[in-house]
Amino acid sequence: MFRIIKKSLRKGIVTGTYPESGMPAPEISDPLKKKMKLFKRSLTIREVDTGSCNGCEMEMNALINSIYDAERFGIQIAASPRHADALVVTGPVTVNMQSALKNVYRMTPDPKVVVALGDCAMNCGMFKGCYAVTGPVHKHIPVDLSIPGCPPRPSEILESLRTLLGQK
Amino acid sequence: MAEFREALEEFSRRFKNLILSREMVTGIPVYHIGKESLPEIALYLIHHPNLAGTLSMEWAADLRPMKESYRIYTLFSLMKKGFWMILTLDISGKERLYPSITPRIHGAKWYEREIRDMFGLIADGHPDLRRLVRHEHWPKGTHPLKKDFTWNTTLEQKDGTYLYRHIEGEGVFEVPVGPIHAGIIEPGHFRFSVAGEPIMQLEIRLFWKHRGIEKLFENLHLLNGVPLAEKVSGDTTYGHSLCYCQAVESLLALDVPLRAQYLRSLFLEMERLHNHLGDIGAICNDAAYALALAHCGRMKEQVMQLNDRLAGHRFLRGVNRIGGVTLDLEEAQLEGIVSVMSEIEKDFRELSNILFVNASLTDRLETTGLLKERTARDHGAVGVVARASNIDRDVRRDHPFAAYGKLNIKIPVFQYGDVRARVRVRIEETFESLSIIQRICQELPGGSVTVDSNKEASPGEWSLSAVEGWRGEILYFVMAGENGMIHRCKVRDPSFVNWPALQYAVLGNIVPDFPVINKSFNLSYSGNDL
Ligand code: SF4
Repeated sequence: MFRIIKKSLRKGIVTGTYPESGMPAPEISDPLKKKMKLFKRSLTIREVDTGSCNGCEMEMNALINSIYDAERFGIQIAASPRHADALVVTGPVTVNMQSALKNVYRMTPDPKVVVALGDCAMNCGMFKGCYAVTGPVHKHIPVDLSIPGCPPRPSEILESLRTLLGQK
Repeated sequence: MAEFREALEEFSRRFKNLILSREMVTGIPVYHIGKESLPEIALYLIHHPNLAGTLSMEWAADLRPMKESYRIYTLFSLMKKGFWMILTLDISGKERLYPSITPRIHGAKWYEREIRDMFGLIADGHPDLRRLVRHEHWPKGTHPLKKDFTWNTTLEQKDGTYLYRHIEGEGVFEVPVGPIHAGIIEPGHFRFSVAGEPIMQLEIRLFWKHRGIEKLFENLHLLNGVPLAEKVSGDTTYGHSLCYCQAVESLLALDVPLRAQYLRSLFLEMERLHNHLGDIGAICNDAAYALALAHCGRMKEQVMQLNDRLAGHRFLRGVNRIGGVTLDLEEAQLEGIVSVMSEIEKDFRELSNILFVNASLTDRLETTGLLKERTARDHGAVGVVARASNIDRDVRRDHPFAAYGKLNIKIPVFQYGDVRARVRVRIEETFESLSIIQRICQELPGGSVTVDSNKEASPGEWSLSAVEGWRGEILYFVMAGENGMIHRCKVRDPSFVNWPALQYAVLGNIVPDFPVINKSFNLSYSGNDL
């Protein structure tokens, strides 16, 4: 027990020890701003992978570690789409995942926001045109915000989401 | 060694009449055999006590237009130390059948289903020929890796159902999970048959993320395949790109400079380090021990930030190129790496001491998710999973690549095959990676970091390369085509062989323990689905 306390005390607080994102903040359109008002200052996210290389997933996971700690800004990850305000979609939408993506979208209660995370989700990246992909995401469901990068750094994802929340 | 050589000679004598031709390709003996003799020869390789083979990979290639036939390759690792041997057979004309080896060699099961889906070649006698990659809505007769299938075909959507295996009986019911899971994980479908709490059967259905990577490779020039290899599985970006580079370098007869070899080992260990740290934390967290996750997540992030500072990318994308690496490290950077590593080492040692004295954690991890050595061997399991089940295999030692021949690394092997053993393998390997990285920083030889080639590979030439990624053995088979293009690139992520083994490790466990067992395997969906 004492060892654990000692270790925690010695490490101190590490939250926020990361280089600032150098990416320009995304433009938030007026209708989107209006929609975001409904969520006030918090956002519960359901992450949907439609065929990513899992790089984007790893960076989303990093958002909840003690260094980025997205929860301090009201950003939470939900286990079910039914609990979500926003879907964060990664990957180029494979033929095998397209109906699952549409189902998730249908199951998420309105109003909802869709974020396309990473180059694959935005324009299929290297997989464009391939027989196995049918994306990008906006071909299947309406996308409100895109975050470019392969993958975007956690600091960049966090900045974009905070801009979306009107915290920046 | 002597017995092994004798056994090989005995092998050649015994099958003299069945072996049509023999050649050596990059040090690997390749026997071309008649189609019918595959099961007999394969079984001999596996059962002979001094050969003690395991099936490492089975794949196909469409040789058109060079030759009007398909070729099936089977790769065996012989003896513990992993000598390789390849058997090849041709299927030509109207023929679509070849004899299945699955009835006797369990590890071939998914490979043969994959070959059927991708090429339309059918393993005769295979006990389970359901579709694997092609989900039920794919039109009949779609076989993407045949040369007459165009890469940008738009697939029609058909109706169809996938037949899961059912267990029937009083009190037996099914729990379907996925493809979309809770938490930030990749998609896959798991179907448990349970009676009360314990799992009686698990069927894993994957390939939701199939992106057609192997077909896309065929559009690329040999020199341009690295960015695609980096996207096979993001968490293994470096391992995959390294394996691809090595395959092409051996095709182009490139001698990568020593300094680049050392740097490659360094970056590969960085990748191992951040993944192992992440996994150790996540496994403990699935046993409700959040403290480990908090500390490990922090250390993992330290490594990722270091990657970003060194290479401009947190996953080390763009670092590899054919012929070496794209960046060199200066003295100051090397010192920086050593200081971060020694800091993490101290930090992690403290944490691992805390972990191992925690009785409630040990209680959850011990005897959970047992993968028996026998089962692991039957499936040809690799990597962390294999080493936790008493299988002493590691490409870094068995087929040294990059600078590993000179680094004299320690390879931890544990016997019990439970979740705890898999955590312990990772912990030992984390310490070893920390030490390797520091050693490389101190011993790094001088010289250039890349070399170029003016050789062209002629169509039909191929090579095979292996890399021990953090998850296990990655394999690439690259065959050259016309004008320096890729004719065929077979990618084998370690996940592909370990997924089926997971179906056995969960038997008898309770469903709520599945997440921690799954996490202790931590397999890639994207690397598996391609
Ligand atoms: S954008 Fe890049 S990191 Fe993200 S899924 Fe696509 S290839 Fe992977």
